[in-house]
Amino acid sequence: MNVAVLLLGYAALIAVLAPPLLARTHWAARAPRLGIWAWQALTATVVGSVVLAGLALAVPVLPVSGGLAELLQACSLTLRQQYGTPGGGAVAASGTALALAVLARVVWCLAAAVLRAWTERRRHAAVLAVVGRAHAGLGVTVLEDARPAAYCLPGQGHRVVLTSGALAALEPGELDAVIAHERAHIRQRHHLVLAYAEGLERAFPRLSLFRTAAVETRRLVELAADDAATARTGSLSLATALVELAGAGGRPAGSSSAGSPAGPPASLAASGGQVAGRVRRLLGGHRPLHRAVVWGGALAAGALLVLPLVVAAQPAMASTGTKSCPLPDAPVAAWGVW
Amino acid sequence: MRGFGELEQAIMDAVWAADGPLTVREVLERLNRERAQERAQELAYNTVQTVTEILHRKGWLSRAKDGRAFRYRSTKSREEYAASLIDQVWATGADRTATLVRLFDAMDEDEVAELRAALGERRERRERGRGAGDAGSRS
Repeated sequence: MNVAVLLLGYAALIAVLAPPLLARTHWAARAPRLGIWAWQALTATVVGSVVLAGLALAVPVLPVSGGLAELLQACSLTLRQQYGTPGGGAVAASGTALALAVLARVVWCLAAAVLRAWTERRRHAAVLAVVGRAHAGLGVTVLEDARPAAYCLPGQGHRVVLTSGALAALEPGELDAVIAHERAHIRQRHHLVLAYAEGLERAFPRLSLFRTAAVETRRLVELAADDAATARTGSLSLATALVELAGAGGRPAGSSSAGSPAGPPASLAASGGQVAGRVRRLLGGHRPLHRAVVWGGALAAGALLVLPLVVAAQPAMASTGTKSCPLPDAPVAAWGVW
Repeated sequence: MRGFGELEQAIMDAVWAADGPLTVREVLERLNRERAQERAQELAYNTVQTVTEILHRKGWLSRAKDGRAFRYRSTKSREEYAASLIDQVWATGADRTATLVRLFDAMDEDEVAELRAALGERRERRERGRGAGDAGSRS
């Protein structure tokens, strides 16, 4: 019972504290990949804690069957004692239900997010294969459209797509920067990063932790790709390219056919400020965090991720110390058994 | 099956390049004329007919009876397809970024003007900075 309370308290603490403390911090923009990892670790540790809390409630009544039961009779008694729950069956049942419900919801929503993105990408790629032309020099696919635009289709058979409008609007150095940015998205598998964040957001839309994590992740993957691109081409080229694309983007240029909408859909307006912020960041001179600080932060996030496992396993580890438990007393082995 | 996709693309290219609807025989002649220039192997009539029929079933081509043969035309122009793809990218809203990641976004004109000015200033400063030591490095 104590373990479950501890785990739930930990999950609640992180869910409440993380969004205001971590969103819009300055260090995340200085180390976007660390920021992405921090959000992944925090969201995963909250989900993990709740699931483990449910399981910890269920341990005392876990049915242990057959010969193993006899062998471990004394041990399971000790385990029951360690995880001792007042309320017995009802609490255990609700614990199991909680663990299963949370787990099922997360798995379902993550799978749905990945599958939906994959289906849409495939449909898009099928049309692109017939309509697009390969640009041998740049190694990209070109679409005939006067609107300057650039995007990437990640995943299997990934490709970078530019419109003829973008080819005409950008200087060679700017094109290189844009392509390097898109390749970084593909190389760093940002589609999976985003699918994870968006899957969790869909699983628990009411929780501000997951909403904030998704918003921040979307911002940080762009910054991470910007950093990868500027390492190759210099920040001024990328900043210029961003302004050129954003300045002309969405407006259907005179020759554009097919009655495209007169402006970007409403959903884009919200992220409009993002590009401006990125350009200012590129112009302001990027000061990446010190390598040691980044590693320290990454380890701290990892520790937060492992903490609920340690808390949940602690009573089991304690039981291995008692004489009644015929488990090897090396804690390493106890991990495997539990 | 990669070759199959390339053939679909080649047939659509031929139909889009033509002035009017084409029969399978005419498509075949155009494709083989190109392939003769590239010294590639000639395509068989049946292959082209099969793939043309597939394109018809997929909705890329429409057909009308002309004597004993069908004449095929594209249902939409290449530009219309390209525009529909770009529209789709635009419509991929802020909550659907896992599908594709786009590098362009809306900005209002004031913001664009402000950033253009900042960029120009930065470039100028860099040009001057090359002559005058590290004068421009503080920012």
